[in-house]
Amino acid sequence: MNAIEIRNICKNYGDCKALSDITLDISEGEIFGLIGPDGAGKTTLFRILATLLLPDGGNASINGTDVIKDYEKIRCSIGYMPGQFSLYQDLSVEENLDFFATVFGTTIKENYDNIKEIYSQIEPFKDRRAGKLSGGMKQKLALCCALVHNPSILFLDEPTTGVDAVSRKDFWNMLYRIRESGVTIVVSTPYMDEASKCDRIALIQHGRIIETGTPEQIKESYPYTLLSVKGKPAYPMLRFLRRCPGIISCFSFGSEHHAAIDPKTTDERTLAGLLESNGFKNCRIKEIKPTVEDCFMQLAGKVTDNTLRIK
Amino acid sequence: MKTGIKTLESVVFLLEKEFKQFFRDPGLPKMVIMFPVLMMLVFPYAVSMDIKNINLAVVDNCRSTESDELVKNCTSSGYFNLVTICDDPSEAMVMMEKNDVDAILTINPDFSRNLVKEGTMSLGININTVNGTKGNIGAGYLNSCMMKFASSSDSASVEPVSGSIVTSTKYYYNPYMDYKVFMVPALIVIAITMITGFFPALNIVSEKERGTIEQINVTPVKKSAFIICKLIPYWLVAFFILTACLLIAKVVFGYRCAGDLSALYLFTTLHIIVTAGLGPLISNYSENAQQSMFITWFFMMIFMLVSGIFTPISSMPAWARAITYFNPMRYYADAMRSVFLKGSTVIDVWYDAAGLAVIGASMLIAAIRGYRKTT
Repeated sequence: MNAIEIRNICKNYGDCKALSDITLDISEGEIFGLIGPDGAGKTTLFRILATLLLPDGGNASINGTDVIKDYEKIRCSIGYMPGQFSLYQDLSVEENLDFFATVFGTTIKENYDNIKEIYSQIEPFKDRRAGKLSGGMKQKLALCCALVHNPSILFLDEPTTGVDAVSRKDFWNMLYRIRESGVTIVVSTPYMDEASKCDRIALIQHGRIIETGTPEQIKESYPYTLLSVKGKPAYPMLRFLRRCPGIISCFSFGSEHHAAIDPKTTDERTLAGLLESNGFKNCRIKEIKPTVEDCFMQLAGKVTDNTLRIK
Repeated sequence: MKTGIKTLESVVFLLEKEFKQFFRDPGLPKMVIMFPVLMMLVFPYAVSMDIKNINLAVVDNCRSTESDELVKNCTSSGYFNLVTICDDPSEAMVMMEKNDVDAILTINPDFSRNLVKEGTMSLGININTVNGTKGNIGAGYLNSCMMKFASSSDSASVEPVSGSIVTSTKYYYNPYMDYKVFMVPALIVIAITMITGFFPALNIVSEKERGTIEQINVTPVKKSAFIICKLIPYWLVAFFILTACLLIAKVVFGYRCAGDLSALYLFTTLHIIVTAGLGPLISNYSENAQQSMFITWFFMMIFMLVSGIFTPISSMPAWARAITYFNPMRYYADAMRSVFLKGSTVIDVWYDAAGLAVIGASMLIAAIRGYRKTT
């Protein structure tokens, strides 16, 4: 059964189309990732699903309940953690948790099992004001506050933005444990490397969903052969590669370049020869499997090409 | 029924949170105590309209016993500082131009002769009205000194001129024209408006700024409950300030409320209903504390200047008077002064109560409408 069904949701801010025609199904008990760059419309979609914003068109339902008509019912069954830390900084850890439990008509005690594992990590600081916590602890507290009323769906808007690598790993482990208790988790992130941690993902750009599926499905659907090209100097090489015959696209990924090629016109060896003869040094080329980021770049490029062609 | 109980429960928890935050704020509790104390102890003295120390120059061309008597009469009133007595009018004029002198009293050479023979006084008064209020009031004082002198010398030396009109003035409700007693109810009005109108607006906006309002919005808490819980602490503060101000007025100045105290509390309650709409209204249209401060400032200035607190409404031009009808502070200030100084009852000033009620109702409707629009 689908926990969340989104049908043709649109939202405009003046002339800016924040979301256009979003349709998604999110099934119960999965970790669903909404992956896209800043400004893609992730937060807008979250705010609509969390009943904080009304869409201009389309509808969405959570557990079969309409987000527009029955927003009060939905608020009891979802937990929402906004991207910005938004708990009361002048209340202590325990007071914050207690407050959010009581406004949902429950107590910490009643749902202690839900939050035990996370809360036990910050319990030693329960008398400290929330504003005085470190970033990682704030995040844990916010997660506790979003979970304390035993929601069936959890919305996490960019929970790992601005968090260090170790805490991010910790955080994902916490999410897996929450998933075990049957909670559906919808998480947004601008980091492509986190995509593979989700059960299913949707790639979003300019307010449109450009692809949905499991990370594996998306990677498998990558239509080209992908090569990793290393060499010096890097930037002139990127420009050179883009002009080479048989190269469909080329992007820089850290210290290497990922080049999508058409195997009919070129291959590793011809490319290596071309690079050497044009004075690039230390060239190393090997075929690699595409990452989600490669897929995103390819799909995003396709979408922009299409819209350009329509114009 | 069940949702009703739930709402009530959440109100209790929200209030608990508001009070915790209120008392944890490093400044607020202190301010609440200091505000009425400072306002009542400092402003009645500092913002006084009593004019004292008017610098007076006398050009005495007569130099007689009578003229001497007149000058003494003026200086003994306590309002004037005698700067100089000279013979040359131009010398006095130079002093006025230098701003050393506020008023010049010129006594003509035939002053004492006229006074004795005809009972008339030949005098000239020149007033420096760079500061209009000071000049006007100074002229008034000087005139009344002359009148007093004339009436006292009447019996001594001359027969009163037949048919001359003698006026005597009696001041009601504030017999000594004490500006402080006049300002006390007005200061209460300003304090209550500030506390109940603008502090909740700032508070709501700061939740907006920090994003905590988002977190509240995803809970089942009703918006109305949230807003009411923002207002209640400041209502309590308002009544605390009202009581404190009345106590200070009694203990420090010895002013008693001439009317029923309950009437003061009733009008304060009515005014609070008005400001209850004002706070959320301001917060609806501002995204951050700076904006809300500016809107607050704008409203506060207009409210105060056309409320009749500092200048009487009856002396305003018709268009300004028309504006005052939309100013809740006008009604509140009028009611508070009437009750405090005159001992009016609620029935006597029913129009003030009606004005507050109408403005309050429309403010609340506007606030609720605006709130719906933004969500």
